[in-house]
Amino acid sequence: MDCHQQHQFKHRPTGIKKVLLMGNPNVGKSVIFNRLTGLDVVTANYTGTTVTYHEGLIRHQGSQALLIDVPGIYSLNVQSKAEEVAVSMLNAGADLIICVLDATHLERNLSLAFDLQNYDIPVVYSLNLSDVARRKGLEIDTKLLSQYLQAPVFETVAVKNLGVGALKHIIFQDFPKVNKMQVHNPIEKSQEIVQNVLQENDVELSLLERFSDWCIKPKTGIPIMFLVLALALGIIVGGGKAIRSIILLPFVNQIYAPLVTRIVERFVTDGIIYRVLVGEFGVLIKMIEWPFALILPYVLLFYIVFSFLEDSGYLPRLGVLMDGIFRKMGLPGSNIIPFILGYGCAVPAILGTRASGSKKERIIVVTLISIAVPCTAQTGAFITLLGDRSLFALLFVYMLSFITIFFTGLLLNRLLKGKSRPLILEIPNLLLPDFRSLSKKIWIKLKHFVKEAQVPMFFGILLAGLIVETGAIIWIGTALEPLVVGWLDLPKEASLSLLLGVIRRELAVMPLLEMDLTTIQLITGSVVALFYLPCISVFVILVKEFKAKIAFLIVLTTFFMAFFIGGLVQNILNWVM
Amino acid sequence: MHLYAGKKHQKYILNDCPNDQLLFAMGIRNGLTVSIVTKQPIGGPIIIRIKNREIAIDKALACHITAKAVT
Repeated sequence: MDCHQQHQFKHRPTGIKKVLLMGNPNVGKSVIFNRLTGLDVVTANYTGTTVTYHEGLIRHQGSQALLIDVPGIYSLNVQSKAEEVAVSMLNAGADLIICVLDATHLERNLSLAFDLQNYDIPVVYSLNLSDVARRKGLEIDTKLLSQYLQAPVFETVAVKNLGVGALKHIIFQDFPKVNKMQVHNPIEKSQEIVQNVLQENDVELSLLERFSDWCIKPKTGIPIMFLVLALALGIIVGGGKAIRSIILLPFVNQIYAPLVTRIVERFVTDGIIYRVLVGEFGVLIKMIEWPFALILPYVLLFYIVFSFLEDSGYLPRLGVLMDGIFRKMGLPGSNIIPFILGYGCAVPAILGTRASGSKKERIIVVTLISIAVPCTAQTGAFITLLGDRSLFALLFVYMLSFITIFFTGLLLNRLLKGKSRPLILEIPNLLLPDFRSLSKKIWIKLKHFVKEAQVPMFFGILLAGLIVETGAIIWIGTALEPLVVGWLDLPKEASLSLLLGVIRRELAVMPLLEMDLTTIQLITGSVVALFYLPCISVFVILVKEFKAKIAFLIVLTTFFMAFFIGGLVQNILNWVM
Repeated sequence: MHLYAGKKHQKYILNDCPNDQLLFAMGIRNGLTVSIVTKQPIGGPIIIRIKNREIAIDKALACHITAKAVT
């Protein structure tokens, strides 16, 4: 999700209209931004997704305007970072504000509308989610609302692209200079407006709304949670395995590898260069096989499942259900979101904690993610390594990860000073995600993975090939023998995993594939890889986001936990079996 | 009584809300009529409904909100 920073125009076009897109969190602002500009922006259905802002160009009948997606805020009280950013953007001036109102929560949304009227910038209102409102039996008199607000109001359904055209059209109209309006008692005023413009009709709850209620009541919500997780896991593990074994592996093993080997054989037939290129750790073959045939299917399916859950609004419900357990670790339940993000990749998960909470919370979440949350690439590697041998081994590694997260969380909560925030969370409407936004988002994440993974993977495999073929592995293996062989009961060559694991998380697992290991050794290797230092990018982010001292402490903890728990598991398993 | 001690499906009027920015931002204030949707186990939050909005409020915070049952 580094995409946040990508779209700021280095050379902002001058002399064109500047439009600010504002609104409360979770009102569909990002979808409107997407529709107006057609730019790649990651949208989500949970609070606080727009931490930094986005810019994009709106093109309409030969004219252009600059649209700025201001972070979602409830008011302009300058209580949070997001509000600070919003106020400074308003102070910088603009030609127009598009204020997005959530038709299902009009009263609360109006207080921001009044705050905006303290600036002498013309405002146009987009009454979004109006289809959901109608389904809930809410009828809003837009004409009357427009009179109260003294500005145009457009009904929109952004996810279906309804009303966005009219909004686009009005951006390029001329607006008369407006006068500031002072609303003295915003609470009373919004109550008054809502009383007059809103009519609430009784409607039967739709199936989706009833389901939404079940998701949040513990008796039904907890079984639903397990069902959702099982389904997600089934799709990722089963689907990934199918794609891998039916399409990708046959392609690599039967077409790609023989072809590359034949081409290489025309130049060299033996010796170190040959083996580095197409041998056991042949870079030309493994750089395609590992990331694309073995890992990518799982990454793709993870992002499909995750993005679906994110956009459907299910995740905040999960946060509410998990709050009790998370509390024991000193975290509000809303932190489930960085955690689940961490199962994708730790980097956006760590960046995502910026928006939330106290320093204590941040350190706890980041430490737990760094220690025991495998990223989707590593999950793919685990499934490849363990899933084929024994599903029980795979489950064991994941259970161990959950247990370690919980107890390390308990411990950190005791050790670290400071408080964690109380949870206050508005539960967004549960909705079926828009296919277009969803596929766009998955595509961006996939592209990002390929871009980020390919180069380190290439050098990692090249390094592995060189270490093995030059015989350096024997020297390193001997140096690490007491640890790798003595304590972990793995073969000497497994020290390769420890070296490569620093580069990328899945590289701590993949070399084990090429070795002939017993099930216990596979489990030990996986456990070490799980708790081991996430990867070089995570380390860089840790240093950037925290003091170097904290980053090093986290990294040392991961090393210690990896070897300590790995050895413990090995000894216990060998003793029991 | 405080809100957390409230019963499920019962309506309450909020009498005294602590001066908390987050509560304020969510539009939770004195005089509001709310109903309790559910309480989460092991010290989890309480979920209240205000008109058609559902909001989860931390147990500790909900214990500081004074409310009166609507009969």
